[in-house]
Amino acid sequence: MSGQGMNLTLRVWRQAGSEAKGEFRFYQLNNVSEHMSFLEMLDVLNERLIKLGEEPVAFDHDCREGICGMCSLMINGQAHGPDNETTTCQLHMRRFRDGDTITIEPWRAKAFPVIRDLVVDRTSLDRVISAGGFVSINAGNAPDANCLLVPKQDQEKAMDAAACIGCGACVAACKNASAMLFTSAKVSQMALLPQGKPERAQRVLKMVAQMDEEGFGSCTNTSECEAACPAGISVDNIARLNREYLKAVVFSDEGV
Amino acid sequence: MNWLRCALSSSVGKKFLMAITGLLLCGFLVVHLAGNLLLFAGDEAYNAYAHKLHENENLLHVASTGLALIFFTHLYLAVSLTTENRIARGRGYAENQTKRENLISKVRPESWMLATGLGLLAYLLLHLADFTFHWRDVSHYQGLEPFDKAASLLTDPVTIIGYTAGFAFLFAHLSHGMSSAFQSLGLNHPKYNSLIKWGGIGFALALGLGNFSLVVWANL
Amino acid sequence: MFKVADAPLDGRVPDGPIADKWDNRKNELKLVSQNNKRKYDVIVVGTGLAGASAASSLAEMGYNVKAFCFQDSPRRAHSIAAQGGINAAKNYPNDGDSIWRLFYDTVKGGDFRARESNVFRLASVSGSIIDQCVAQGVPFAREYGGTLSNRTFGGAQVSRTFYARGQTGQQLLLGAYSSLMRQVGAGKVTLMPRREMMDLIVDEGVTRGIVCRNLKTGEMEAHTGHAVVLATGGYGNVFYLSTNAKGCNVTAAWRCHRRGAYFANPCYTQIHPTCIPVSGDYQSKLTLMSESLRNDGRVWVPKSADDKRAPNEIPEADRDYYLERRYPAFGNMVPRDVASRAAKERCDEGFGVGETKQAVYLDFKHAIERDGEDVIRSKYGNLFHMYQKITAENPYQVPMRIYPAVHYTMGGLWVDYNLESSVPGLFVLGEANFSDHGANRLGASALMQGLADGYFVLPYTVGDHIGKHGSSLKPLGNDHPVVQEALESATSRVNSILAVSGTKSPDSIHRQLGQIMWDKCGMARTAAGLKQAAEEIRALRDVFWNEVKVLGTGDSFNQNLEHAGRLADFLEFAELFATDAWHREESCGGHFREEHQTEDNEARRDDDNFCYAAAWEFQGVGEQPVLHKEPMEFNEVALSTRSYK
Repeated sequence: MSGQGMNLTLRVWRQAGSEAKGEFRFYQLNNVSEHMSFLEMLDVLNERLIKLGEEPVAFDHDCREGICGMCSLMINGQAHGPDNETTTCQLHMRRFRDGDTITIEPWRAKAFPVIRDLVVDRTSLDRVISAGGFVSINAGNAPDANCLLVPKQDQEKAMDAAACIGCGACVAACKNASAMLFTSAKVSQMALLPQGKPERAQRVLKMVAQMDEEGFGSCTNTSECEAACPAGISVDNIARLNREYLKAVVFSDEGV
Repeated sequence: MNWLRCALSSSVGKKFLMAITGLLLCGFLVVHLAGNLLLFAGDEAYNAYAHKLHENENLLHVASTGLALIFFTHLYLAVSLTTENRIARGRGYAENQTKRENLISKVRPESWMLATGLGLLAYLLLHLADFTFHWRDVSHYQGLEPFDKAASLLTDPVTIIGYTAGFAFLFAHLSHGMSSAFQSLGLNHPKYNSLIKWGGIGFALALGLGNFSLVVWANL
Repeated sequence: MFKVADAPLDGRVPDGPIADKWDNRKNELKLVSQNNKRKYDVIVVGTGLAGASAASSLAEMGYNVKAFCFQDSPRRAHSIAAQGGINAAKNYPNDGDSIWRLFYDTVKGGDFRARESNVFRLASVSGSIIDQCVAQGVPFAREYGGTLSNRTFGGAQVSRTFYARGQTGQQLLLGAYSSLMRQVGAGKVTLMPRREMMDLIVDEGVTRGIVCRNLKTGEMEAHTGHAVVLATGGYGNVFYLSTNAKGCNVTAAWRCHRRGAYFANPCYTQIHPTCIPVSGDYQSKLTLMSESLRNDGRVWVPKSADDKRAPNEIPEADRDYYLERRYPAFGNMVPRDVASRAAKERCDEGFGVGETKQAVYLDFKHAIERDGEDVIRSKYGNLFHMYQKITAENPYQVPMRIYPAVHYTMGGLWVDYNLESSVPGLFVLGEANFSDHGANRLGASALMQGLADGYFVLPYTVGDHIGKHGSSLKPLGNDHPVVQEALESATSRVNSILAVSGTKSPDSIHRQLGQIMWDKCGMARTAAGLKQAAEEIRALRDVFWNEVKVLGTGDSFNQNLEHAGRLADFLEFAELFATDAWHREESCGGHFREEHQTEDNEARRDDDNFCYAAAWEFQGVGEQPVLHKEPMEFNEVALSTRSYK
């Protein structure tokens, strides 16, 4: 296998800390196997940097099987790289060609401040969930699971929405840094299921309010989020959120 | 009414207002175009329509004030949302490319909404300059019946270029704006989604071409 | 290599018939009155299924909770990666399931090395877990009539596994996470993400808090409370390559062990049979393909060792469906340890497939012919998609290639029936404890255990500890000597790692450790190999402390330093692992000693001498640990040889 790998130029955003001024640095990486994942390629880069005495590139990652949502990266201007429905950890180097220059940047959004290099702080998404992305049920309080009948097609749609991995690619890809796809996925899941009905109105109002407070932009229906989403979340959920919001404002008792 | 203020100042509420004002403006455009298409029916029909329209000045004032209100709301929201959205991004990307795969998305009319909207505003100023405020030298139209005035104005080179560009902006703006308004209002269903999307583009095309046909007609 | 304690270890199992034990215990436990709960602080480390469910339940009850995780959000914990499903004895399919059967299957699946009473409690609360999750909005698969759907999993002959496509762990974790975030919003839980637990604070023998490193700033922080709940997962990454997330580590558990908590059965490691094989030396982790695939996929190798044909060109007559051949009753659905060893046996004999010959086929041809591609896609679409992304092969057309990989660790900190460790006030839940799975865990039981511990066991038992000690435990300030000592010890450890200015990266040393573990402490172990492994681990530990190279500083975001710290603990822990495996002169479940096998290569247990949990007490690095034996008694399920034939 050796000698057959790709030779790549990496243009990587380096930033020593949240307050530091960042810059791009160029690294030449040779003999990269096409079977490597993108993160394994960065591992190889980091091993080399350590040998050379330069601090390795910081990047978030954990499960490396596309489900934890920890990995991020804007690769050549695309969130999670060129493949659809793929996280960076699942992206493989066979997608690139010998001689390519690859630009790697962190997610950029006011609500996602950079911590170091390619690592950003996404706790704003957690706060959106804590504003209302739940059913208020205490442990031990639940009725028998089969008491609630859920039509299969509703459950399937709820599952489609619930598949969100919370990586923030929607925010990164949106020209407005809007978190509408993320927020709408949770609102949709709960709106589609009978369990979510009692808190429906206040959920959508509070989650949208929190989303605004965190400094995310608004949705201009460009659908870039849907294309970038590794979990295949559809913008139909955004329409559902809008509908839920309208209903909550016009018909519910919330805010009286 | 605190709840209403809260709702309308949220990002989703602003998008509602954006969509509703946009759709109302589209409604106005349809009526306006329908009236103007009477040019094809000849001078009698068109002149009768124009005189009827101006018969009740009070009603006309109310209508134009309402229209202006809707228009300025739409314009204000556009500028304020765009500003907020720029702030929400912060530092931009060194490189940025779409992951959407179809052809229309490569052109990305949605990325140019503010630009096409401002283009439309420029066209509107030109239009109002001639028909409402008479800013341009209109001495040679003085005393003409509406039909003749329109026919003659539409042959003016500045008008031809300005209006054609304006209708192109209109098409670009509405090709995204129509379906986007439906999405913002939550009017979405798998059965009708493609109708909304292609219907929106068809509507934009019809309005653009319909208006443009008057320019063509006047110059034939 | 070790010393043995004189007295047997007491698991403090309640009296009475097995079905009444948990009720009896609950009746004895002390309660904390509603008004007083808000006076007590509980620290929960880890936010996976066990940690998140415990933290939210405690907060719902009224305690003040601080929840810690090393990730940027509690939703990222590795429970999220569990694919196949969660078991519960609901008997919705009307196929004869019961609490007793789930209990029986789990005890038998664990090869008679689990504590019977714990397993029974687990089985009896399993139904409530499903109720709780459904109420939270977890979108489990449904039938057309709207009722819940079930599927079959390994080691069982009934359908009792609830699932949400191939993302059950994700959906359950997001359910628990949503409850947790609700309490964060209500101000009852303080979230502490990007924190690594570095030490346990113990005062006069009672747990008082933790020291953790803020991974964003590098600051060392002390947090004190009235109880500490550890739910920090397993130690599979001691093998470097495993299906665990890259961040999974033994540090929190090991630090507690060093402060007096016994570590039980570290050698029990589950090697999962269906993982995507290793492709090169840059490999950073292994990816699991859910066990549920064995419901429809058939495992085979060519009958001839040098069959060079492509899999689809090999006719039925030349295929060896070895699991169906060896285990006609369970076929492809045998437990994981059995399936893994069978795959290894075929590959060792030279029948393996693919470039490396270290793989077997998992074939869906028959299922696709029978049910159609759409049905298979709806059941396993995301798994097939994942496989294709990693290997660039389409599993709808060619069989998957799979090979066993380290997946789960049944061993963990020793806990009594109340899930309390040998240090009072330190509770251990989920994969981090040793209690419920014995020597082998059945599929879809880890999710069940994590949530059972967090929702339905710990909330009761923590109250007992606080009821007994709460009022006498005065708050400890940062200037208290034990807090100071813990802070200083954690800081000096970080500094001493940074002070070694060698040439080797933590990753390269970790890979070496993984190789030792896989070769000598993996699927097949021998006394000589294990002894050698212990020596090699000690030598590698010296390499680490003399030659590791960690750049950057301790007071900044430094992932390399995080890795080095975790590796340092793995290097201490690995030796105990080898010692435990060496001492256990029998084969059981995930622990297979080549000296102890039957004529047809099945595991041979030694119930006369090893029917106990081995709980190790720390005596110092490089010192001989002390072995405490907790006898495992089987009064309900008679000890027998496992058979899946």
